[in-house]
Amino acid sequence: MEQSNSKQERNKRRISRRSFMAGIGAGTVCVAASGHLFAAGDSQAAEKVLESDEMSKIRLHINGRSHQLLVEPRWSLLYVLREKIGLTGSKEGCGRGECGACTVLIDGIPRYACLTLAVEAEGTEITTVEGLMDGEKLGTVQQAFVEEDAFQCGYCTPGQIMSVEGLLRKNPAPSVEEIRTAVSGNLCRCGAYTHIFKAAEKAAESRRK
Amino acid sequence: MTPHFSYVRPGSLKEAIGQLRQNGAVVHAGGTDLLGCLREKIFDVRKVVSLSGLPDLRGVEKVSGGGLRIGALTTITEIAEHPLIQKRYTALAQGASEVASPQLRNQGTIGGNLCQKPRCWYYRGEFHCMRKGGDICYAAGGENQFHCIFGSGGRCYIVHPSDTAPALAALQAQVEITGPQGLRTVPVDDFHALPEDDVERETWLEPNEIVTAVRLPAPPPSLKSSYRKIRARRSWDFALAGAALALELDGDRVVDGRVFLSGAAPVPWRSLSVEEAIRGKVLDDATIVKAADAVVKAARPLEKNKYKLPLFRGMIQEELRRFRENLA
Amino acid sequence: MADDQKSIYYTEGLPVPETPPPGEEPQPWEKTDVVGKPLPRVDAYERVSGTAVYPSDVVLPGMLYCAILRCPHPHARVKQVDTTAAEALPGVRAVIGPDTPEADLPWFFRDAKTALFPRTCRFEGEPVAAAAAETPYQAWDAAGAVQVDYEVMPYVADERRALESGSPRVHEGGNKLKTDTYSRGDVEKGFSEADVVLEQHYRTEAEVHTPLELHGCVANWDGDELTVWESTQGVYAVQSKIAGILGLPLSKVRVIGHYLGGGFGSKLRTSRYSIIAAVLARKTGRPVKAFVPREATYLTMGNRPPSNMTLKAGVKNDGTLTALKFSCLGTGGAYPAGGTSLVDWQIRELYLCPNVSTECTDVYINAGPARPFRAPGHPQCSWALEQMMDALAGAIKMDPVGLRLKNVPAYSQGRSGNPPYTTTGLSQCLSEGARKFGWEKARRRTAAKNPDSPIKRGVGMAASIWFVGGGGPPSTVIVKLFSDNSASLNMGASDIGTGTKTIMAMVAAEELGLEPEMIRIEHADTGTTQYATPSGGSKTVPTEAPAVRDAAIQVKRQLLKMAAEEMNLPVEDLRYRGEKIVSRSQPEKEIRITDIEGLQKRGVVMGVGHRGPNPENKTVNPFCVQFCEVEVDTNTGEMRILRFLSTNESGRVMNRLSFDSQVIGGVTMGIGLAATEMRILDTARTGKMVNRNWHDYKLPTSLDVPADIVSAPIEMPDAEANITGAKGLGEPVTIPTAAAVANAVYDATGMRILDSPINPLTLCSVLEQQNKEG
Repeated sequence: MEQSNSKQERNKRRISRRSFMAGIGAGTVCVAASGHLFAAGDSQAAEKVLESDEMSKIRLHINGRSHQLLVEPRWSLLYVLREKIGLTGSKEGCGRGECGACTVLIDGIPRYACLTLAVEAEGTEITTVEGLMDGEKLGTVQQAFVEEDAFQCGYCTPGQIMSVEGLLRKNPAPSVEEIRTAVSGNLCRCGAYTHIFKAAEKAAESRRK
Repeated sequence: MTPHFSYVRPGSLKEAIGQLRQNGAVVHAGGTDLLGCLREKIFDVRKVVSLSGLPDLRGVEKVSGGGLRIGALTTITEIAEHPLIQKRYTALAQGASEVASPQLRNQGTIGGNLCQKPRCWYYRGEFHCMRKGGDICYAAGGENQFHCIFGSGGRCYIVHPSDTAPALAALQAQVEITGPQGLRTVPVDDFHALPEDDVERETWLEPNEIVTAVRLPAPPPSLKSSYRKIRARRSWDFALAGAALALELDGDRVVDGRVFLSGAAPVPWRSLSVEEAIRGKVLDDATIVKAADAVVKAARPLEKNKYKLPLFRGMIQEELRRFRENLA
Repeated sequence: MADDQKSIYYTEGLPVPETPPPGEEPQPWEKTDVVGKPLPRVDAYERVSGTAVYPSDVVLPGMLYCAILRCPHPHARVKQVDTTAAEALPGVRAVIGPDTPEADLPWFFRDAKTALFPRTCRFEGEPVAAAAAETPYQAWDAAGAVQVDYEVMPYVADERRALESGSPRVHEGGNKLKTDTYSRGDVEKGFSEADVVLEQHYRTEAEVHTPLELHGCVANWDGDELTVWESTQGVYAVQSKIAGILGLPLSKVRVIGHYLGGGFGSKLRTSRYSIIAAVLARKTGRPVKAFVPREATYLTMGNRPPSNMTLKAGVKNDGTLTALKFSCLGTGGAYPAGGTSLVDWQIRELYLCPNVSTECTDVYINAGPARPFRAPGHPQCSWALEQMMDALAGAIKMDPVGLRLKNVPAYSQGRSGNPPYTTTGLSQCLSEGARKFGWEKARRRTAAKNPDSPIKRGVGMAASIWFVGGGGPPSTVIVKLFSDNSASLNMGASDIGTGTKTIMAMVAAEELGLEPEMIRIEHADTGTTQYATPSGGSKTVPTEAPAVRDAAIQVKRQLLKMAAEEMNLPVEDLRYRGEKIVSRSQPEKEIRITDIEGLQKRGVVMGVGHRGPNPENKTVNPFCVQFCEVEVDTNTGEMRILRFLSTNESGRVMNRLSFDSQVIGGVTMGIGLAATEMRILDTARTGKMVNRNWHDYKLPTSLDVPADIVSAPIEMPDAEANITGAKGLGEPVTIPTAAAVANAVYDATGMRILDSPINPLTLCSVLEQQNKEG
């Protein structure tokens, strides 16, 4: 963005002073009753606007656990996972949906956490690479990646693993072409693709046993 | 990086439209294009109105008369994998399957795909170009490898980035729009704005309207359709050249056809010259070559995108040959 | 300790290499039990589970986030910077700029001096101000609120125009940085002796490294001690730069670099963000995380220079090369940064040729400075040289592989004194590679191609050598054996994704008879690990692994000495066998390592290993030959790469699994140069980079590379190179790739593509021209 010194531009950036507390009556009842700002089916009451400069309480279901936290509407799910909840397995490569390092499962489907607002993720089931573990034991896809050396620097790896996991949940016996397409939204600059294909095949095989 | 905005997730369409009354309020469907635009601060956003509280806007249903109604929030993946769409509206399924990357197809919606902002790197970058209210088009005389060969009006040289829009246009789909006044429908091939009509908008959607569905008519039994996309990489990339063909065939004779190009113009570009070259004709070699030459006859390439002429020619040849082979 | 526990730590009966007496060099390994095997990495668990903490994962209590405002113009003077509005925004704790006294620090690009926040910005992206705030979102709000008055200046964005009169000057002294020349013999005489002389111009585009993990660091002060977690290939290089700029003693700066998400040369040194983070951290009294957003990494974190090359070559009908004349115009951007680094090396070195001359001119342009990018200069040179060799072969009707085989040198032509190679497997790479690839059969098939089909197949190959790859001293590694016979290994070198940690563990395991997983690795931490130069240049394994072996041997020598005392036997009589020490003459006399009293008393036995000297008057280099098959749709210019085979001669294969990973990685990266990658600047109006994101700057995706990439190493352990017999691998693997693709496209279509990348944009126009003429 070109640097603009105009007063107009500066005023645009000034934070709105509207108070979150204005509609507190209905709002808090809503929250208390359902624990969820966006109670489904509550079509009578107008939905609460989350103000830009206020922190709003949301609840996220991640890897089978419920997390309550305060967020700004603009915070991405990726930012919240990494910097607020401590789940640093999902990585940030670009912040704009062009690399796949942040791939997570949302209701079992691979998506980019960097292009998902945290507030949008409320009400969904989020799975990160940490969620594929069985205690301290590696999940099948993770184990296959180890055996086939399907990584080098390892930074794109959690995203690759989630894409493969998403694929196998939907299609337990994928062809090589289907595997290649499933990870075609995950860049690997180290160039480990060939081994990633093998790892996906191995994981599919081991799950079939 | 992403500026402040307020956020609301309405529980009804009526409320969503009401929320859009404000200046700077925008719709969040899948969010894949919106969040990218926010990061680059391409336009002013004060409030994000999420449609994820409106599950009724998602889904594919048959309608009386044999057509299909696809809710605007139906994801690109759902469309690509829908057996009915694959069978009867093949161009749409194929177009959807080639959009972006798997994760973006899982998140992106058909409504968003139709309304998405251009991908011109001047528009998306730190350049105050004409489309953003400035005075000049940087692509003219600049790095215009990926810009248009039709329809610029001498003003703006973007190509429309959607793969589903040309397919829908070829299949004679309608866009269903809901606003404060109620429902209206617009044919897909009238939905997008040419630069000469308004260089600062991509569609004729008003700021307080929402695309709620796409309607496809019942396809004639003899209709066959396809979508072909040629790009520099085989994932993520937008089309260098693309074509949606919907042809009504009687044996190997083309009774009628609609041809829409992507990667060619600021809107999905109807190629009347290709349609004319094949209408009423048998798809033999001579016809195919004539049609291929016709596709770029009126093209006006820029300094760096002249490759699009042989590219479109070669692609149309291949696609028409493919139609012919599938008939055998 | 229980017996079943003991078996975790060592393998019964594992014969370990003989321990040389003090003063004697160890013998090369003959049969190995660990080294060379396809073992999974010792840190695989951490990487795939998401538990590995990369520098970008570090979160400290009270940590602030840094956003750097960057100059949007390729050439501008910064007249005024006003941070007042930015400082007033919520969550903002500090904003610094060129007027901030604590930030009044110099910065250097080699010898060229500039400033942390320069008053004259010479490339798009130079830092202008920086903010630290509670969240990155707030930090970026602040950066956007800083008001800057720029005086925009004329720029030069194309190196091919940099020396034209009237071209804007990047520096006072003009745009020419230097011209390097080399010559041997008499090229004109050589051309006159040739039967065929060809001349051609070639161009490769600028490439940007873009490793998956962003560049950046976390900086934290503890009193007057600074700790930095940085995504880096070399913690000591970072330490020395930060200490130098901030005026701190090295002992007060600790840099930690466990794990990094790739570097490829762009993280060999630190950048201004680490100084900025340190200054902000000191000013706010809180840790500061400063990672550069992806878009800015395109502008400021280095690149492979574009290369504009001319090559004239002469050959006799029998395949003997008579002369090579090469020139190159390159640019390292706005500061001295090696715009033509090593680009002519293979011209001088790879093929036997008595008459060679090269001239390389490096100029300035207003763009980001270059950084070494995986085999600097070499893929560009191969693009020209290997296509020329192909053309020469065609002109004299010789098989391309045959022409290379005719000209394989046994010694270095480019080095003074012409030292011989310790080993050269280039010929074997050529013949074995051709055989395994099915080269002759594939060539016959493509020659007999169906003229009617628009889909054409072709095969191509290219050979290469890497400039260095032998490593060398100094290097110190410490191996400690604990009283329970488990061990630790302490080294300064980073594992940049190549698997070096695993290889080092395997070397120690081989010597000590342990399982590699039972060796704790301490590395890449200036506070606690030994000194090492940055991991790059394909030198880490040949430098560090011998030091590891030496350290392990030192451990064994000490234990043998202790055992000799306790068993009352001469030390020469004893043999180290992993879990125990045994008498050679009286095999029933033995002692378990864990029973050695000396070890129990001391708790630890420490071996300090050093990297010995390189062989005198010889040179150690790795070789790589690659073969590929492509398919081109001549209607549309779409190219598909069907398969690749890479033969590498890098001495001993240390770990077959990670060796193959390097190969497929190098081929994938080379496909980027060949087919998808190029930096594009808006030369006409603004000079700005237009494709500074991962959609518009295109890396190969999983659908752009073949599933069929075969690694077929030529294994020749190089006993003279060092005591592990290994040579470097990381860079050779990507040198000939793009040229092999170009040669395959020629075989398929009859068109030689002289400018990278090869894609529908370039192929379409070229093919149409051919169709018209044909």
